[in-house]
Amino acid sequence: MQECVRAKNEPAPNKILKITAGLKKAAFLNYVVALFLILTINFLVPRLMPGDPLQAIYGSEALLVITPELQEELTHRFSLDRPLGEQYLSYLTSLCRGDLGHSYYYNTPVLKVISGFLPWTLLLAGLALLISTLLGFFLGVESGFRRGRTLDRVLLGGVMLFSGFPDFFMGIVLLLFFGVFLSLVPLSGALTPYAGHSGLLLVMDLLHHLALPLGALVLVRLTGTYLLTRNTMITTLGEAFILTARAKGCPERVIRYRHAGRNTLLPVVTAAGLQFAHLVTGTLFVEIVFSYPGLGSLLYKSLLTRDYPLMVGILLVITIVVLTINLLLDVFYSKLDPRVAKCT
Amino acid sequence: MHVNYWREVHTTGPGRFGLGLLILMATAAVLAPLLTGYQPTAHTGAPFMAPSAQHWLGTNDVGQDIWTRLLYGARTSLMVGGGVALLSLCLSILAGCSAALLGGLYDRLMMRLVDALIIIPPVIVAILAAAYLRPNTTLLIVVLSLLLWPGGARIVRAQTLSLKERMPVYAARTFGAGRLHLLFNHIIPDLGPILIALMIQDTRRAVFMEAGLSFLGVCDPTMISWGKMMQHALKFVYLDVWKWWLLPAGFALSLTVMGFTFTGFALETALNPRLRKEAGHADN
Repeated sequence: MQECVRAKNEPAPNKILKITAGLKKAAFLNYVVALFLILTINFLVPRLMPGDPLQAIYGSEALLVITPELQEELTHRFSLDRPLGEQYLSYLTSLCRGDLGHSYYYNTPVLKVISGFLPWTLLLAGLALLISTLLGFFLGVESGFRRGRTLDRVLLGGVMLFSGFPDFFMGIVLLLFFGVFLSLVPLSGALTPYAGHSGLLLVMDLLHHLALPLGALVLVRLTGTYLLTRNTMITTLGEAFILTARAKGCPERVIRYRHAGRNTLLPVVTAAGLQFAHLVTGTLFVEIVFSYPGLGSLLYKSLLTRDYPLMVGILLVITIVVLTINLLLDVFYSKLDPRVAKCT
Repeated sequence: MHVNYWREVHTTGPGRFGLGLLILMATAAVLAPLLTGYQPTAHTGAPFMAPSAQHWLGTNDVGQDIWTRLLYGARTSLMVGGGVALLSLCLSILAGCSAALLGGLYDRLMMRLVDALIIIPPVIVAILAAAYLRPNTTLLIVVLSLLLWPGGARIVRAQTLSLKERMPVYAARTFGAGRLHLLFNHIIPDLGPILIALMIQDTRRAVFMEAGLSFLGVCDPTMISWGKMMQHALKFVYLDVWKWWLLPAGFALSLTVMGFTFTGFALETALNPRLRKEAGHADN
């Protein structure tokens, strides 16, 4: 460990700096390319559909209420009468202005609708990520250390059984058991409507509504972190420095967490970031089951009402959130472990 | 060193459990017409009938036999899973092997593309595409494969790069073997276990995604799918029907996914020499 600290304090050689800068640039480029690919899919699919592109963009139901003048205006707005290249350009510029279109179901700009629902999703997904990573890490370390013994077998079997449940089905099972059968928790929503709670009561009410969706997500998402920690733990325990620690007479607990656990942390943190995309999509499905007022429920509603601009807007916002989180993680990755900064 | 992967998978507990589940599901899917007397789309009785001798799991809101739909749902699930696994595997091999064997600018461009595609969250793009296309089984397989191949391509490329420097390949090259000969006779056979692990992983993800998309209702309305059964059943939770409509569909889906998870876990343990039993340390 001391060596690593020293390496961090010393000024790194220029060559290494250059390589890491290059890597970061490459990583950044990947995200830009990915974003453009998604935007392009989003732009091309409705326009390549057979029939009127306006109908594909706005859905057939919407056009029933549209007057010829409005249709004229919309055609002009999407530049649908001009060549594809110009259409693409106008699509991108309107996106840069933050114009995601107009939700005809809510009769408000899409961005405004989304911004009301986004915080709930972020709350649910963020807490789920935190809890499932911490719990998965803890269980993984304990399980990997006791490889082959009863506790390890029970944990391994149990956690893997849970992972087989799709997020939404786990949500349904929890909902039916705790909500319908035991009537312990409310069946839907994020807050008791018109209760007018404040302060501690509000927080309690919030947690009461949050418990089941959060529980479902954590139970299903635990597996990734758990299996990775367990596997890394097993490989780390075979390393020479563990033998040294044992030879020194370090207590088991110290070896488990300070020596092996700490070295297991890096891939786990990286994987937590990569899992974020899965977690967010899982959150969408779980929200639908619990009618939690986040983007998932909004997405479901937009699909049912065929409010296409809203649907596309939600998916774009989610994609941008996921990409941003992963990019940030890539950039700060080297800071997590001095070895990475030194070796790359 | 040659490891008998098959033996290692089917003699361990998780492997046996996983394979058992998969065989069960595959049997149900293949023998569906023999296991039920009804057609999945036929209206066979009054709506919301409780389980009885005629209808093992009762009937749904339009009087279709739920047990029959459950069996035919296994077909859709496994067909989409298997189809996506095969197609995306072919794409992965094509991209990964060609990048590794040709090298140079092509390799760099291909890997840049793969790196960018890997970041794209597949479920979100799948929802987007499916909402417009309302895909049937075939189209769904194509869409999902196009989203899932990059992960495999990266693994195949890395493995091919290491394989192509090995002795037998080197020897074959000195005898004048062409790239295609190397690929089909030396590299792909040696990739075997890794390709199977990849396929299991892709199948699992595809089954998941198919169920998710149909749960959202963004697929061909005529498809018989567990996800769609759950979406419909969820609307009637206030009745007792969830016991034989919602739960069986969910458990069938979960057991299928579990089958793939456990088999994949057993194979991964066999493939990773450090995780194999003989290499056990730490605990003894």
